[in-house]
Amino acid sequence: MAEEGAVIACHTVDEWTQQLQQGNESKKLVVIDFTASWCAPCRMIAPIFAELARKFPGVLFLKVDVDELKSVAQDWAIEAMPTFVFLKEGTIVDKLVGAHKDDLPKKIAAHAQVRAAPHAC
Amino acid sequence: MAVSGFEGFEKRLELHFSGYDPLGLRRLSIDDLQQVLDAVQCSIVSAAGNHSFDAYVLSESSLFLYPHKIILKTCGTTQLLRSIPSLLRHAADLGLRLRSCRYSRGSFIFPAAQPFPHSSFSDEVLFLDARLPATLRFRKASIMPSDVISSHSWHVYSAAADVFSVLQPSSSTIEVCMTELDCSLARQFYRRKGDHRSGDDVGAEMTELTGIGAINPRALVCGFAFQPCGYSMNGLDRDRYSTIHVTPEDGHSYASFECIGGREVMDYLKKVVHVFRPGAVSVSVCMGGTGTGTDDDEERVWSAVVRALEPLGLSCRSRAAEDFPGAGTVTYQTFTAHRK
Repeated sequence: MAEEGAVIACHTVDEWTQQLQQGNESKKLVVIDFTASWCAPCRMIAPIFAELARKFPGVLFLKVDVDELKSVAQDWAIEAMPTFVFLKEGTIVDKLVGAHKDDLPKKIAAHAQVRAAPHAC
Repeated sequence: MAVSGFEGFEKRLELHFSGYDPLGLRRLSIDDLQQVLDAVQCSIVSAAGNHSFDAYVLSESSLFLYPHKIILKTCGTTQLLRSIPSLLRHAADLGLRLRSCRYSRGSFIFPAAQPFPHSSFSDEVLFLDARLPATLRFRKASIMPSDVISSHSWHVYSAAADVFSVLQPSSSTIEVCMTELDCSLARQFYRRKGDHRSGDDVGAEMTELTGIGAINPRALVCGFAFQPCGYSMNGLDRDRYSTIHVTPEDGHSYASFECIGGREVMDYLKKVVHVFRPGAVSVSVCMGGTGTGTDDDEERVWSAVVRALEPLGLSCRSRAAEDFPGAGTVTYQTFTAHRK
């Protein structure tokens, strides 16, 4: 069980389905980073994504490698990387294609319901 | 006209490499890329990649990285050519061998504001000659003129390891430079006061509202709106890039469009001119082949461009074509609009 405030990487379709389901049921904002190991723009934004995961523990941060989970990337029509998909209760509420250092934090803050963390960080 | 303002006209550098690594230049780390860009004095604003290439929107234009090809296009007073030493070093570290180089630009609106080596074309040529390896034996530099009166010319420098062009025969690169933009259309590229949205969000809105998004609906467009005005976009469509940059200020307004493709490129040209309704346009096409293109090829391109622009009220004022060994055949045409 991954601790709160970390990016969860989904390595199998089962893991992916499970995480999505949990996210939908919890009514949390779910942010998915569709990434590729060979993609320099993805590497550029990865540390920022990880930092945002620490900053927003009430949001579920997932990571999917498009080569590892080809079928998922195809189902979600991922054509360029990184692609960030924002889900709430199973519905896509926003999408951001590309590494945008300013836009990504803004969108997460806008879509997340900010709740006080239960303990001091 | 202002004594000096932001220089929209870009400097463009295209380098082709050979190597066995299918990822090639795409292996460059962000740190290495930033180091190259530091020499040029610009930075990465946003980035995206697909299966064919990576596209970077820069603080002053764009960068496209394919496995064996890099296109760097910068405006303002950036020192584009200073990127060459570190680029060549990084490419060599990746086991890549330089095959050809093509440098091109129009005529600066504010030439006196350009730093060395961009102070003159001869300075640029000397700089390039000194920094490119001797293996690039076939070199040519040319200023392609427009008509006698106009101060617009197209400057091209090429250097190649052999005379056979690195470009594929079926695809061409088109570079369009537009000035005297329609004022009300140019105003769409100003940010509204009090709008605190991100440059990406406002950029996306500009892409839609101006019709830029409709030029090639298949392409993924990464647009960015600068403060207080200005716009840049990179488009990704399979292995084809496209890019638009806008300097909307009255008095020295400028917009550029560039892409690689086949016949559809002429449709894009029409749509782009419709977005900006410029008073003057220059179009340069670089096509592959052996670099000794027949007259037929040039005629075909000249006619296609005229067919695309004449119905929009633009008259062709000049045309030129030159072969650049190993780099391709380059055409250059200038147009002006009928104005009441």
